[in-house]
Amino acid sequence: MAALRILRTRALLVSPQLVTRSFLKTDNARTPYAPTAVHTTPQNQNAGQSGMMASTRWKFEHMVTLAMTAAVPTAFITQHPLLDYVLAGCLTLHGHWGMESIFLDYMPGKTLPKVANSCLFGVSVLTFAGLCYFNYNDVGITKAIMMLWS
Amino acid sequence: MASLSVVKGFQLASRQAALLSFQSVRSAQVAAATQAQERLKKFSVYRWDPDKPGDKPRMQEYDVDLNTCGPMVLDALIKIKNEIDPTLTFRRSCREGICGSCSMNINGSNTLACLCRIDGASLTKPAKIYPLPHMYIIKDLVPDMNNFYAQYRSVEPYLKRKEKVEYGKEQYIQSIEDRAKLDGLYECILCACCSTSCPSYWWHGDKYLGPAVLMQAYRWMVDSRDHYQTERIARMQDKFSVYKCHTIMNCTVTCPKGLNPAKAIAEIKVLMKSFKKEDLKSEATA
Repeated sequence: MAALRILRTRALLVSPQLVTRSFLKTDNARTPYAPTAVHTTPQNQNAGQSGMMASTRWKFEHMVTLAMTAAVPTAFITQHPLLDYVLAGCLTLHGHWGMESIFLDYMPGKTLPKVANSCLFGVSVLTFAGLCYFNYNDVGITKAIMMLWS
Repeated sequence: MASLSVVKGFQLASRQAALLSFQSVRSAQVAAATQAQERLKKFSVYRWDPDKPGDKPRMQEYDVDLNTCGPMVLDALIKIKNEIDPTLTFRRSCREGICGSCSMNINGSNTLACLCRIDGASLTKPAKIYPLPHMYIIKDLVPDMNNFYAQYRSVEPYLKRKEKVEYGKEQYIQSIEDRAKLDGLYECILCACCSTSCPSYWWHGDKYLGPAVLMQAYRWMVDSRDHYQTERIARMQDKFSVYKCHTIMNCTVTCPKGLNPAKAIAEIKVLMKSFKKEDLKSEATA
């Protein structure tokens, strides 16, 4: 009787029906969903960035913006030729950084941003040179803007 | 002995009476609900099944009777799943705004379905339910949170000490003022409503950490018991991790817990302003 019981349990254990039950089977036919690649900021991303810390750059950008809030009205009130040059520098830097930030946000791929950034660099240099030329040989930025209303 | 049994008998009788009265009230409520007209509200839900090859995302409409449904959007979703369409897939757990599972985009704003009331006033306008925006979708309303969690892990959201720690030996005492600094930060449940409402996070979800993770990074920066503030700040020193925050403030507007991630990010920027590379070196040698 005992032997029969053991036989029966053994038979149950090796029963092919049980083994092929769906919940024991691994379903190889259905590929599991592929988890998206995990991207996180590499710890050393700041290492290759031209030496300047991101926070230093941020401070500089904000200092220029703050300086402009004072420089723009002062330039128009005093009409000092030196302030025209300050304005030329500030405006060019401000525009340059703004465009750079826009490129960083909205330019896809790797080569396109590089091309765009070098073009931008050229444009910014030309703008600064042009403004300085205008300040030196003509009436200057502030006077030119004021002439729009005269 | 006899008096005790009398008392017991009395207790039993009063309990039965209470139960009876409760049942009668309840049956009256149910009767009232069935007597009243059905208040059908349309729910338009984003559906996508990855198991069907070539399946395109679509919106599916369901009619739910608000008289037999709980007050929140999650109640409606559960009702739809129970009674109309068992294939509808979404995450939920606590149904009271503490687990952060049921975050989704309801009528255009990210929130927790369990904390969002169904707009019963305008029955004709369907409630539109989408998964969290700009996330990879696993199925229906279930987004892939892998990247979000990996970013959270990358800020090491746990207490770190410089000395060798003997666990269980003593507790780290904190002043009331220092503890108060963590208020408004530690309550975050990581539902990702804020991060997925941020356009900057949409464009740079791989490199920008996003408001939720940054707020937790700040929470560990200002913890007086933590010894690695400088290192935590140094970890943010790149163009993307924190500086891709453009103070759009969507995070603060959408937070279902009423927290202010944008302020935390601003505080990180303040901390980074006074960071010097020498701090890191001097701490390493000390």
